[in-house]
Amino acid sequence: MKLITNIKLAATIAFTHMRARLKQTLIATAGVTFGITVFIFMVSFIQGSNDFVQAVAFEQSPHLRLYNEIQTAPANIIDRTYPGNINLVSHVKPKDILLNLKDGPQVVQALQQDPRVAAVSGAVSSQVFYRLGSSSINGTINGIRFEQENALFNLQAKLVEGSFKELATLPNSLVVGIGLARRLNVKTGDRLEVTTDKGNNFSVKVVGIFKTGLTDIDKQQSYANLHTVQRFLEVPVSYITDIKIKLHDMELAPAMLPELQAKYGFHGSDWKQDNSALLEGDALRKMIVYGVAVTILLVAGFGIFNILTMMIYEKMKDIAILKAMGFSDTDIRWIFLVQALIIGITGALMGLVFGFLAAYGISKMPYKSDVMITLDHLPVSFSAVYYVTGFTFGMLTTTLAGYLPSRKAARVDPITILRG
Amino acid sequence: MNLIEVRNINKYFYQPTKMQVLNDVDLDIEKGHFVSITGKSGSGKSTLLYLLSTMDTDFEGSICINGEEMQGKRNRWLADFRNHHIGFVFQFHYLLPEFTALRNVMLPALKLARYTPAEIEHRAMDLLQLLGVGTQANKRASLLSGGQQQRVAIARALINEPLIIMGDEPTGNLDSQNAAIVFDLFRELSSERGQTILTVTHDDDFARRSDKVIHLVDGRIAD
Ligand SMILES: Nc1ncnc2c1ncn2[C@@H]1O[C@H](COP(=O)(O)OP(=O)(O)OP(=O)(O)O)[C@@H](O)[C@H]1O
Ligand SMILES: [Mg+2]
Repeated sequence: MKLITNIKLAATIAFTHMRARLKQTLIATAGVTFGITVFIFMVSFIQGSNDFVQAVAFEQSPHLRLYNEIQTAPANIIDRTYPGNINLVSHVKPKDILLNLKDGPQVVQALQQDPRVAAVSGAVSSQVFYRLGSSSINGTINGIRFEQENALFNLQAKLVEGSFKELATLPNSLVVGIGLARRLNVKTGDRLEVTTDKGNNFSVKVVGIFKTGLTDIDKQQSYANLHTVQRFLEVPVSYITDIKIKLHDMELAPAMLPELQAKYGFHGSDWKQDNSALLEGDALRKMIVYGVAVTILLVAGFGIFNILTMMIYEKMKDIAILKAMGFSDTDIRWIFLVQALIIGITGALMGLVFGFLAAYGISKMPYKSDVMITLDHLPVSFSAVYYVTGFTFGMLTTTLAGYLPSRKAARVDPITILRG
Repeated sequence: MNLIEVRNINKYFYQPTKMQVLNDVDLDIEKGHFVSITGKSGSGKSTLLYLLSTMDTDFEGSICINGEEMQGKRNRWLADFRNHHIGFVFQFHYLLPEFTALRNVMLPALKLARYTPAEIEHRAMDLLQLLGVGTQANKRASLLSGGQQQRVAIARALINEPLIIMGDEPTGNLDSQNAAIVFDLFRELSSERGQTILTVTHDDDFARRSDKVIHLVDGRIAD
């Protein structure tokens, strides 16, 4: 109770001091406001773009992938037959294994029953050359069942022209990425040649063009029907190389991966591994935002520190008189701490408002991107977390900036001043 | 009954070299007395007063005020003690310049919080009127004349009805007419309200008319 009246009294004195130094007070407050505004604005904008890029990338990236890889056999056959002997075999060639997943179609069926799984697609992908006239471009062909793949990647939405439907009905038909189409100078209805790595040539017809927004995919990938690709590769219909899985909860992926690998004996990866570069960049950008915000707030904190320190020099006499009257060191400390807190709170709150307004303003700016086709405005993320963080940040720096001078004020020795 | 009992006080300053300013000072001051501290410049008058004011805590010996030992007390306790029992008047008026005269007078009482703010305002107003500066109550302190400021400062020293009123040359900066007014007021406070007055003064006339004179010579009490 006594404490509260003491702080109240300190606050009224603080208010009087601040009113007498309105301009300096406003400048210090503006410093904090600016710091928080920039923080909110930058973090909203950068996080917004991060989220957007991630959404684009993740839409193209299954939560879990199962596949096979060519590997050199860890032990050669002689070692296995004569384990005790010293056997020398030089230059072991990689085993000529099929890249297919054993019992792939059955695994796909089993996974469809798993309650954690939202969608599964079994596909064949292979390196091919796309040829037209003299141009020959290396790329990947994906043999898919359209319904399955669409459930995972929402392919339909990425179609720029033509249709996916014809893949199933028209033999040797292909939907190509927009970058690839541009490089080959083809459009829907045109024909081109596909050469497999075994050297077989097939003439195919372009029935559609898609655009994912990810250049890497758009400039070298194409989709064809699963059976078409299996025929190109001269493999049986049970041959699939990739199983892509979408989960209801993507966070389960890293835990599910080892389970599936153990169960089926395939290689695999989850979305976090597949997008590690992206996630890393995300973390780095966030660090930059926080770095900039901390720097600005430090400067603002110095502003507060300065005005309070100056105020204390000017107010030495007042401090001495107050102490003579019976104000304790703690009361004096509160007088100056309250000033810092008021500057901090008003500055931070105004910063939140201005930051929000700036972020809102920029989220309404029209923006056309060649890479991100689904984007028509600048992406901005609005999340309460930034506002809480920003406010806490602002309060921390101002409290610290106010604490040091106020401690100094509390230590002023009244006698040296009063004896004149 | 002795309100203040000082025993064997030694006080040193260490800047620039160690120097003894007060030497084995012993004194007693009775409640309700009007006491002057005199002595040549540099004899240690202010130093003694600030020790008695409880603001200077760095000394050897014992200071007992109103039955309480001051030696070794904590800052918060001493501040509270001053707030309750000691009122100050300085040579330079030392009001808080940004506050009104009235507010200046109210501050020690607001800190004490014995009365409600409304009552405090009323009492502060009465005191200002008593000292003849009632009409200046709502002016900012920095706008008052020197004499007016000193009277406001005295009102401030009186607001908590302290046991002791201390002053370091409280009339040193006033003309003889204002000095006489202040002197008469102090006289009245000690005789009618039983408040103890303890002032450092250079004014022989002032000193001669007090109940007791403590004369310092080189940090010792001379008889
Ligand atoms: N903070 C200090 N540091 C060092 N020496 C000091 C300090 N304060 C006072 N002194 C010295 O102590 C001695 C006594 O000083 P004090 O202020 O008590 O004198 P005074 O009697 O009040 O003199 P005056 O009448 O001029 O005010 C002086 O020699 C002074 O120089
Ligand atoms: Mg002196």
